[in-house]
Amino acid sequence: MHGRVKVKSTAQQEEEKRKEREKKLKAFVSARDAVLRKRSAGEHDEEALQLTQQLLSSNPDFATLWNYRREVLLQLETSREKDEVQKLYESELHFIEACLKVNPKSYGCWHHRSWVNTRLPQPDWTRELGLCDRCLSLDERNFHCWDYRRVVVKESGVSVEQELQFTDRLIGSNFSNYSSWHYRSTLLPQLHPQPAPDSIHSHRVCEEQLLKEYELAHNAFFTDPNDQSAWFYYRWLLGRGVCVCSLCLSQAQSEGLMLVLDGQPQQVEWRSTHPRLRHSPVWLCDLPPGSVSDISNEHNLTVHWTEKYTHRDCALYTGCAESWCRDSATDQELFRSELSVEKSSVLQAELQSCNQLLELEPQNKWCLLTIILLMRALDPLGHEKETLAHFQTLKEVDPMRSSYYSDLCSKFLIENTILKMEYAEVRVFSLSNKNLTTLCHLDQLLLVTHINLSSNQLLRLPPQFAMLQCLEVLEADDNAIESLEGLYHLPKLEEVSLRNNRILFAIQSKCFIRNPFSAFRASAWFDLVSRSQYSSLINSYRLCRIMEGQQI
Amino acid sequence: MGTQVKDVVIKPEAPNTLLLDKHADYIAAYGSKKDDYEYTLSEYLRMSGIYWGLTVMDLMGQLSRMNREEIIEFIKSCQHDCGGISASTGHDPHLLYTLSAVQILSLYDSINVIDVDKVVDYVKGLQQEDGSFAGDKWGEIDTRFSFCAVATLALLGKLDVINMDKAVGFVLSCMNFDGGFGCRPGSESHAGQIYCCTGFLSITGQLHQVNADLLGWWLCERQLPSGGLNGRPEKLPDVCYSWWVLASLKIIGRIHWIDKAKLRSFILACQDEETGGFADRPGDMVDPFHTLFGVAGLSLLGDEQIKPVNPVFCMPEDVLQRIGLQPDLLN
Repeated sequence: MHGRVKVKSTAQQEEEKRKEREKKLKAFVSARDAVLRKRSAGEHDEEALQLTQQLLSSNPDFATLWNYRREVLLQLETSREKDEVQKLYESELHFIEACLKVNPKSYGCWHHRSWVNTRLPQPDWTRELGLCDRCLSLDERNFHCWDYRRVVVKESGVSVEQELQFTDRLIGSNFSNYSSWHYRSTLLPQLHPQPAPDSIHSHRVCEEQLLKEYELAHNAFFTDPNDQSAWFYYRWLLGRGVCVCSLCLSQAQSEGLMLVLDGQPQQVEWRSTHPRLRHSPVWLCDLPPGSVSDISNEHNLTVHWTEKYTHRDCALYTGCAESWCRDSATDQELFRSELSVEKSSVLQAELQSCNQLLELEPQNKWCLLTIILLMRALDPLGHEKETLAHFQTLKEVDPMRSSYYSDLCSKFLIENTILKMEYAEVRVFSLSNKNLTTLCHLDQLLLVTHINLSSNQLLRLPPQFAMLQCLEVLEADDNAIESLEGLYHLPKLEEVSLRNNRILFAIQSKCFIRNPFSAFRASAWFDLVSRSQYSSLINSYRLCRIMEGQQI
Repeated sequence: MGTQVKDVVIKPEAPNTLLLDKHADYIAAYGSKKDDYEYTLSEYLRMSGIYWGLTVMDLMGQLSRMNREEIIEFIKSCQHDCGGISASTGHDPHLLYTLSAVQILSLYDSINVIDVDKVVDYVKGLQQEDGSFAGDKWGEIDTRFSFCAVATLALLGKLDVINMDKAVGFVLSCMNFDGGFGCRPGSESHAGQIYCCTGFLSITGQLHQVNADLLGWWLCERQLPSGGLNGRPEKLPDVCYSWWVLASLKIIGRIHWIDKAKLRSFILACQDEETGGFADRPGDMVDPFHTLFGVAGLSLLGDEQIKPVNPVFCMPEDVLQRIGLQPDLLN
């Protein structure tokens, strides 16, 4: 079904081909019918082995025949001594190897081989490893063979170090090494498991290996800058230190979170910020009525996340309307991993080398992207300008993936703005005129009161936007916004400006709505709007500028 | 210089318009010559072959040209005592063909011609201790079968019979350094497996466990200069990856990371103007498998001459709406 070229031939050639196929077909059909007849008759004998052998050699995907063969072998086992069974299955291995020569990618073949090894009184794992070596030397990307090799390695106790050396050899001598790099990515964690947070020494060993891996990947892509597998692997190495703290609670979230007020556990219902967000980093609850009515006293709240054995405390001080406790984005190194001095200097050297490579290969998109990633790992704010310039170049040299680069650049700009906001200790998020194509990390904007996203290329305010529970003012003029799903029950939102977008209700005139129930001029428009899905939103806002410039 | 990029070159005379009528004629006639060589040799997957043909015909609005009664009788004759369904009469049951059969019967709104409870028992019985699914009683494990299991049960409205947590746990254990998924834990990422795993996670409501940005990048890097998509790094493009890769991207909300115009040109170039149908790449022999995935890919790209296709089930959206199945997609 794959890779069969359509060849034009003469009428005579066509006729010859047709006759040939007719002959082949007849032979196949008669052999197939004979086998299935035998099986129906419950015959499990040598003849069955012979007939299936004939067919399977050129039709190894005919799974039912392998099944029949297994039934026959199991039957024959019952009447044989152990050493005869050994011979029986060794001969089977011989047959399978012949099939594999014809078709090295048949699921049926490889599975049957695994099955035979479970029946062999004495499997020979050394031989099996040899088979894998030979097979991979012919096609290093044969994933069936790699999967089989993993079984052989496990059964025979080959060491992780040995297998790492095996990948070293392949990577050193070959192109098209993705399978080897992938295998390495699975071997390393076995060799150097993730260290416990309080164990200093194992952390150093882990980092030592990591730095070796940088060198290995570096050597590969400096030998051949178009060897994409090494670049993929390198990106993984760069991300290895990042602690992705995903607060993903299951649907039964009320069991996972417990609220304690002034020492008393509270009966509360947790809800997501938006009905479409069933798995969310942000959860809301209302305190029981009257529980914090006395504002002349200080109140202490604790939220326990029982699944992760952790909690956070927060004090609501006298006379205060709001309070919070949060882990700072800068302290926690939320967007990048903490770098030791060693790692930092290694990455600095890597950045230099990559810049040199870029001078030789200015069109190499892998190099450009890697430079961006290295800069982010070292100093995201310091390298912001260069990063933006590199993204521009990336879109020029690799235009098929422009959307990806735009989204990735947007993500990094948002991360930088969050960091700047933290350092400045303000609650205003401003990113206008920055070619933003997407929004992310919205869970980090929970405390933001003012947000300016004007003059970008946003297409929507997604459901996640509902996490901006403290938002008072939204400016998002001059985008391409079609959907306002995320403007859902934002309790503090008072001012909304969404001019020059693509919100889908028919608007002819511009107008302000100060009080939706009073202005007669606005009523005709309001009538129209109230029939739209956004009526409940519009009702909520003290000042709402949506109408101007909407394209339908 | 080192590695050259493996790719194809599309000839200027390659087809560049959609020849829907020719494809419908090709599928309608396929298999009518029961003594055809390719046809007979592919008997071991006949049930899937029928599913490919029927689905593409339905997407083209031509389902009525197929022989409904004959197919339904055929499926009935393929259900075994254990409940499982085989690819053809006289062949052994397997999860792959059980899914295909259930998909066909869903298209025809005739699910009750088979013993549904027994199908459910068969699927349930194939789940292993570690949450994985075997393809049949002979024990081959593969995330493809995890997908087949949950897709089958979802279409029958019986997802609750399996151990969901363990099933999810197993699939997640197959997630790799690049965000992709392989056959088994430790297996290399492959677009076909990624489709099965993202489809699985969609059906089971666990898409939030996917690293969508990382996987989306790996997937959009499947697009080659010709515009076609390959299945993993440094392989040739193939029209069936227009489905496996594209559907995966759609499921994780990153389909806009592909250059749609270039992909469309590649897919159209894979058509055979003489015979109808699509081949894996321009100039090769056509078959129903690549025909379905070429057309389905074009549907995902927004071609209005084709019915909308569901990226998880690879079935027309209107069929799934009728059943009431709307699996989650990431935005």
